[in-house]
Amino acid sequence: MSDRTERRGDTAGAGSLPGRVPLRPPANPVSRKAIVMWLLDGLFWSVLLVGGAFLLSGWIGDGRWSWLPEWLADGAGWLPALTAVLVVPAALAEPFWRYAVHRWELSGDVVYARSGWIDRQWTFVPVSRIQTVDKKQGTLERVLGLATVDIRTASHAGSSTIKGLDYGVAAALAERLAQRAEELRDDAT
Amino acid sequence: MTGLPGPPDQPRDQHADPHADPHADPHADPHADPLAGPSPEGPGPRDAPGPRAYGPPPVGPPVGLPPAGPSLRLSPRVLLTEPIRTLPSLLLPLTGVLFLGGFSSGSFGWAAFGLVGSVLYAVVRWATFTYQVIGDRLELTRALIGRSVRTIPLERIRGVDVSSPPLHRLLGLAVLRIDTGAGGAKQEGELDGVTLVEAERLKAALLWHARARAARRAGARGTVAAHGGGPAGAAVTVPAGPLPGSPAPAEPVPAGPSPVAAVPPTRHRTGEALPERVLFVVPRRWLAYGPLSGSYLLTPFAFVAGAAGLAFQWGSELRIDGRIVVGAGEWLWGHPLLLAGALVVLVLAMPVLGAAMYAVFNWDFTLRARDGYLVAERGLLTRRSVSLERRRVRGFELVEGLAERWAGVARAWAIVTGLGDSGTRGQLLSAIPRRTALDVVREAVGPILTGLRPHPPVARRRRLFRAVFPWLVTAACAAVAARAWPPLWWAVAVALVLAVLGVPLGLDRYRSLGHTHEGGRLSVRSGSLRRSQVVIEERAVVGWTLRQTWFQRRAGVLTVVAGVGAGSGGYAAIDVGEAQGVAFAAEVTPAWLAPFTEDDPPS
Repeated sequence: MSDRTERRGDTAGAGSLPGRVPLRPPANPVSRKAIVMWLLDGLFWSVLLVGGAFLLSGWIGDGRWSWLPEWLADGAGWLPALTAVLVVPAALAEPFWRYAVHRWELSGDVVYARSGWIDRQWTFVPVSRIQTVDKKQGTLERVLGLATVDIRTASHAGSSTIKGLDYGVAAALAERLAQRAEELRDDAT
Repeated sequence: MTGLPGPPDQPRDQHADPHADPHADPHADPHADPLAGPSPEGPGPRDAPGPRAYGPPPVGPPVGLPPAGPSLRLSPRVLLTEPIRTLPSLLLPLTGVLFLGGFSSGSFGWAAFGLVGSVLYAVVRWATFTYQVIGDRLELTRALIGRSVRTIPLERIRGVDVSSPPLHRLLGLAVLRIDTGAGGAKQEGELDGVTLVEAERLKAALLWHARARAARRAGARGTVAAHGGGPAGAAVTVPAGPLPGSPAPAEPVPAGPSPVAAVPPTRHRTGEALPERVLFVVPRRWLAYGPLSGSYLLTPFAFVAGAAGLAFQWGSELRIDGRIVVGAGEWLWGHPLLLAGALVVLVLAMPVLGAAMYAVFNWDFTLRARDGYLVAERGLLTRRSVSLERRRVRGFELVEGLAERWAGVARAWAIVTGLGDSGTRGQLLSAIPRRTALDVVREAVGPILTGLRPHPPVARRRRLFRAVFPWLVTAACAAVAARAWPPLWWAVAVALVLAVLGVPLGLDRYRSLGHTHEGGRLSVRSGSLRRSQVVIEERAVVGWTLRQTWFQRRAGVLTVVAGVGAGSGGYAAIDVGEAQGVAFAAEVTPAWLAPFTEDDPPS
């Protein structure tokens, strides 16, 4: 058994170039408008965080938190700037990064989707196990004409959410999945 | 479209869900048409015209199922239990009223009014609540002010629990809970206060329907699970009473109230001679293993906390001045010896009280196989019995704590589809020696899988890092803070000790990691302080999630989560090699992943 371990360990270790998961990317990208959505989303949170940092630094500056070490209290003024430096580039990079990662595909009666940016996630949901297919639109998505398709099975780990699809694409996908799932109806829970 | 991914690669396992894999039976295809006539095994209740799908099987006199059973009430004896149960909650207000009123006659009047009111309320509740089986559904009707009817389709019923708390036991009553797998207590039916006899009768009747439904559905598919545990082919004799089924035999309970319920129990499935079989009774001396799990060891502290909470609550009710409490606390603080003594007593009480508590809950833990159900029964004061439909059992989980592993002890849970609160309800075995546990589980569910494939060495590094690093960071932070406030050096020392202990912990966590796939079932294992190995049938898998954090990507590993519509919903193989993980999922469900894998991992 230890032989096998080593071998397997090697394929996993040496063959990679870590970061090479032997799965091909799904065929379809999401809508380009999703970049705008993620961008707006990221900026919203950036503003919120930087604003929060600003308030916090204001409180610290008031000298109420006398137990803080001297250097920290003095440096409080830099807090909003620091937050901005950390958060804003991330918010700007995230949408494009996500656009590169987020892809989906329906073939062989399996929904295959990839998502994430720093962290990644691949989901495989066979149509025969689907229980519900939801098509959702948040406010921002409505403005941009986007939609999210929520594919659920009896298990959270066997479910998939595809964000940032064009509304028409999402509607067609949801429709097709619902129809196909009905055909393959299978009480496997 | 490359063909259907489903059935062809599904396992033909013994617990074949007749509905889930129509191809399990070689005769399946000729009978795929529901109108193709009954299959040889003859699922009893065939689809008769009309909605009464649960008609009697063609055994014995063909008695039609009455469209509606009689409308029944709970036992009048609940009139005794209800007020007694509501009494504690009434006690405080009542005492309060007496105190406030200075024990005047008027205050006694109010108190009496409260008591009478609670009794009256119980009477009204009893009188207005009825339950009735109408055709293919159970209706619980409460006509208090408005009329609320909860309808539970019989085919939704996945299990029936009968339990009797101490007071109920005294009066020969039971609480019957109907599990519909809908999730959320609101959706489930509860009959609090039926007689034991009625509980058994109703349970048998409701479960009979569930099995009949399964058989009918299997019949409609022309498929019969060729397995003794399968519910199909149920040859059930229906007594001419209002409801089919008599209480399960081998219980010291007289046959149901129905006068004809004495019809000989020809209700075995084909292939299983005994209607009930005791799989295992945990010997009482093994109750001593209970405290090893650790959770029961905290019992004394829970008691103290509960007592303190109660004291505070009652203190405010009884208008004890807060200063007295604070004063008592200060006095106690002023006598550290006393405090230390109390602590020592508590610590010494840990194993004793823990064992006692464990014994109360797990007394005579019994696992039975009965009529396609696994029945787990336990408890000293409250006897709790949980029925798990075998058809829905998809696997099991074997759990061993650190101390339990040292003692060679394990606990087991069943993984059942659509079972709410599976943590408490799904338990198959209390803590017993691992070898015995595996034997019992093999008989009840299936054998365990051994020869787990290890995860790549880089996973060991990650486990170590995660067990040690957080404590080092804590120590560093504490050290910085300790320069301002010296007592914190203690925290630094503790964090450093924990960091050192993290080394063996991390190594052991890595040793626990493993996954495998064999004979239509897959297994994953992880954890050290609570090591858990899960064995599930591959047909229970409803999807896959592969996750990779940035750190995992740099290490070339990922986490593979098998989505399972049972138990906790997903079971993860943590830190599998990238190629290994994809290969694992592809091995279990080839058709689902084949279109998307790259044949040759880049090298």
